[in-house]
Amino acid sequence: MTYEEAIFYVIAAVTVAGGLGVVIARNVIHSALFLIMALLGVAAVYVLLASEFLAIVQVLVYGGAVTILILFAMMLTRVRDTAGPMDGPQRPIAALAATIFLGTTVLAVTQTEWRGNTEEATVISIYEIGEVLFTTWAMPFEIASLVLMVSLIGAIVLARGEEGE
Amino acid sequence: MIPIDNFLVLSAILFSLGMYGVLVRRNAVLILMSVELMLQAVAINFVAFAVYLNPETFTGLIFGIFVIVIAAAEVGLALAIILRLFRNRQISNVDEADLMKW
Amino acid sequence: MDQAWLIPAIPAAAFAILLIFGPYLPRKGDWLAIAAIGASFILVFPVLADLLDQADGTTYVAGEKAWEWISFDLAGVGEKFEIEIGFYVDPITIVMLAVVTLVALMVQVYSIAYMKGDSRYGWYFTVMSLFAASMLLLVLSNNLLLLYAGWEAVGFCSFLLIGFWWEKRSAAEAAKKAFITTRIGDVGLLIGIIMLWLEGPNTFNIQEIITFAEEGGYDNTYLTGAVLLMFMGALGKSGQFPLHVWLPDAMEGPTPVSALIHAATMVVAGVYLVARMLPLFEVADPIALDVVLVVGLTTVMISATMGLAATDIKRVIAYSTLNSLGLMFVALGSSAVAAAMLYLFVHGFFKALLFLGAGSVIHATKEQDMNRLGGLAAKMPITAAVFAIGTLAMIGIIPLSGFWAKDEVLVFAKEEQNIIVYLVLLSSLVITGLYMTRLFVRTFLFAPREQAAYDHAHEGGLLITVPLLILGLLATVGGFVVFDEVGEALGFPGGFAQFVFLNEAHEFEFHLDTAITSSVLAGGGAVAGWILWQNKAELAARIRDRFAPVSTLLSNRYYIDEIYQFVIDRIVLGLGSIIAWFDRVVVNDGGVDGSAKLGYFTGFEAKFLQTGRLPNYALAIVVGILVLSIAMLVTQV
Repeated sequence: MTYEEAIFYVIAAVTVAGGLGVVIARNVIHSALFLIMALLGVAAVYVLLASEFLAIVQVLVYGGAVTILILFAMMLTRVRDTAGPMDGPQRPIAALAATIFLGTTVLAVTQTEWRGNTEEATVISIYEIGEVLFTTWAMPFEIASLVLMVSLIGAIVLARGEEGE
Repeated sequence: MIPIDNFLVLSAILFSLGMYGVLVRRNAVLILMSVELMLQAVAINFVAFAVYLNPETFTGLIFGIFVIVIAAAEVGLALAIILRLFRNRQISNVDEADLMKW
Repeated sequence: MDQAWLIPAIPAAAFAILLIFGPYLPRKGDWLAIAAIGASFILVFPVLADLLDQADGTTYVAGEKAWEWISFDLAGVGEKFEIEIGFYVDPITIVMLAVVTLVALMVQVYSIAYMKGDSRYGWYFTVMSLFAASMLLLVLSNNLLLLYAGWEAVGFCSFLLIGFWWEKRSAAEAAKKAFITTRIGDVGLLIGIIMLWLEGPNTFNIQEIITFAEEGGYDNTYLTGAVLLMFMGALGKSGQFPLHVWLPDAMEGPTPVSALIHAATMVVAGVYLVARMLPLFEVADPIALDVVLVVGLTTVMISATMGLAATDIKRVIAYSTLNSLGLMFVALGSSAVAAAMLYLFVHGFFKALLFLGAGSVIHATKEQDMNRLGGLAAKMPITAAVFAIGTLAMIGIIPLSGFWAKDEVLVFAKEEQNIIVYLVLLSSLVITGLYMTRLFVRTFLFAPREQAAYDHAHEGGLLITVPLLILGLLATVGGFVVFDEVGEALGFPGGFAQFVFLNEAHEFEFHLDTAITSSVLAGGGAVAGWILWQNKAELAARIRDRFAPVSTLLSNRYYIDEIYQFVIDRIVLGLGSIIAWFDRVVVNDGGVDGSAKLGYFTGFEAKFLQTGRLPNYALAIVVGILVLSIAMLVTQV
């Protein structure tokens, strides 16, 4: 086991622990904090995947903005006051389904012969990313910005409510 | 030096966790968080494929970036809807919002 | 001759006008109907003149004219399917045209008086026009399909007219009975027509089919089947045994209608059909003609005997019609077209005369049961006189028209068939003499049995007596056309047989032995009838009591109606109820309602799948994905 692998397992353990915390925590605020943990873990995974740019974006967008947004939503909807159990009645079947899904996916991953270099990640520089993002992918990039704007407006309209409310 | 399978399995685990969360949780915000987990799993998958198998054009990496962008937009919109639901009907559990049935 | 199509077209046009504008026309448009049929009658003469002009002494040039009606390519066969509206004129057609138009004209004139004051006076003349037009179309048609169309139209009109007073339950029932009974035969006719077309020369043209058959185009058994099926149609229309049951009941219609149905239209259509298609019968297996002969003989015997027991004067005449039609079929069964057509020709006159005479009695006395009539000769001399002529003509007393025609039939039967046929016919003559005399004696002679009816009686107006006198004259002299001298004097090539067949015909021969035999028997029957039923008919009553079972059998019409009723009740309705059950339970409850209920219940039950709860939908998605992914794994690995 190389030291890189060791680091990966540590980070993976943290990430999976965060994910597990999100879905089984009794307290919603704990869930949110576990989510931060998982998201930061994913950022670290990106580093291991030699994509520093993505890691930075992940920390900024998820670790910062999205988490804050979710916490705000929790506050506004007073989730902690909600009566009743946290989980629905589907738990056994959901666990079974998730396990089966995991099993089939892992089976698929290990059974597949991947073509190409499966042992070492290639470093892709921010320069290269920037170049293709603004040339080859310029159109999707612009559309994504448009989507962002539309969803922003939509969110405002939805959240603001009707006149005189 | 880390084989690609490691990342793919991690992604699968995260996705399964997210799926479990979506199926089990009642609170809309928690479901949304589970969905985020699934999105992250997918993004990891994309990026791993890009840097290992297709470093020449690394389309998956770009895809990962777009996943993050769209996920951010989705979170904003979804939270607005949840807020609206709470304000109009004083509920934040999705199984209570069952007007769209027979 | 090319204008022959006008003969049915004019009454048809009159029908259309009357149907739409009838109620607005003065006198409800009866004059239009009569003018139309009168025009048709007059038009027969130029057509006849054309036919005679074009004859070259040995054969006729049959007039034929056709328009395309339906034409399309037969898929897969590469042949054209064509139906024509075509008209064909030959001597048989001319005879039919003359009888139909003349009798229809007389009947319609008579109807003005007879139907006066009826609430559906205009409708009566409307349907009469259509009736005449249909019959004329039938006889003029050059192809089987057009003939069939006219055939069905005639049946439909008879339904309307027999049920003309449909408020009376018995009339409505009689109309239904007539329609359904003739329909049974019509199905056979239609199948026969289709059979002839299927294996035939891809045409419905009668002459082409006959040529084709004579050249041996059809398989013999197949052709025999086809012509026998067509004969079924003739059976139904002409009221031959065993489909005769509708004809006596058809007396429920107005009496002029009965006259028209029995003398000119409807019933003679069957005779015409067989006469027209006779070459096919001759080409086919001999059994086909034998069937015609046997059916005719059977009808002659049963109708004559039933006529002995009936008391309704119209019914007696109806049985006499069956009797006459049977004779015509006997003639056809002996291949004697000329004899059959001659009988048809004179029968049209004397039968119309008898019916119109009976109508005159009914009109005057409002009574049609001969047990309540009698002695009317004193009050209605003209009617009694012409009725006597009709009766004698029917019995076949020389020199009235019926004698010559009947004699022709007898000669053929004697020469062509075995002796039994001849003997049966001779015995039927006696019975005919008996019941026709009974009819006349009981109605017109001796003391009246019902004073009220007698007091009420009076001679009808000119509109009634003039048609009676014209028909009486024709019934008296109509038979003389058998003589070559008479025919030549009238501008024909010769006598009746000569006219129909030209040189192929046999000369009319006056067989003295046959004539004497038949006259003695018929006259003897008549005299016996006179003796039996004179005064208070004590003798007849005694005989009736002596042979009570026979009398019961006859007055119940051999129980044929009861047998049919039994068959219909037990077998047809039994089968029907099985089919009805199948339809109700399997088709309706199972198929139609069942599929609807299936949709309803599944919808009702399955709607609960839609819980409206998000996690359930999410689970459904996941399960779907799992199933797909596992399926993929299984197939890929």
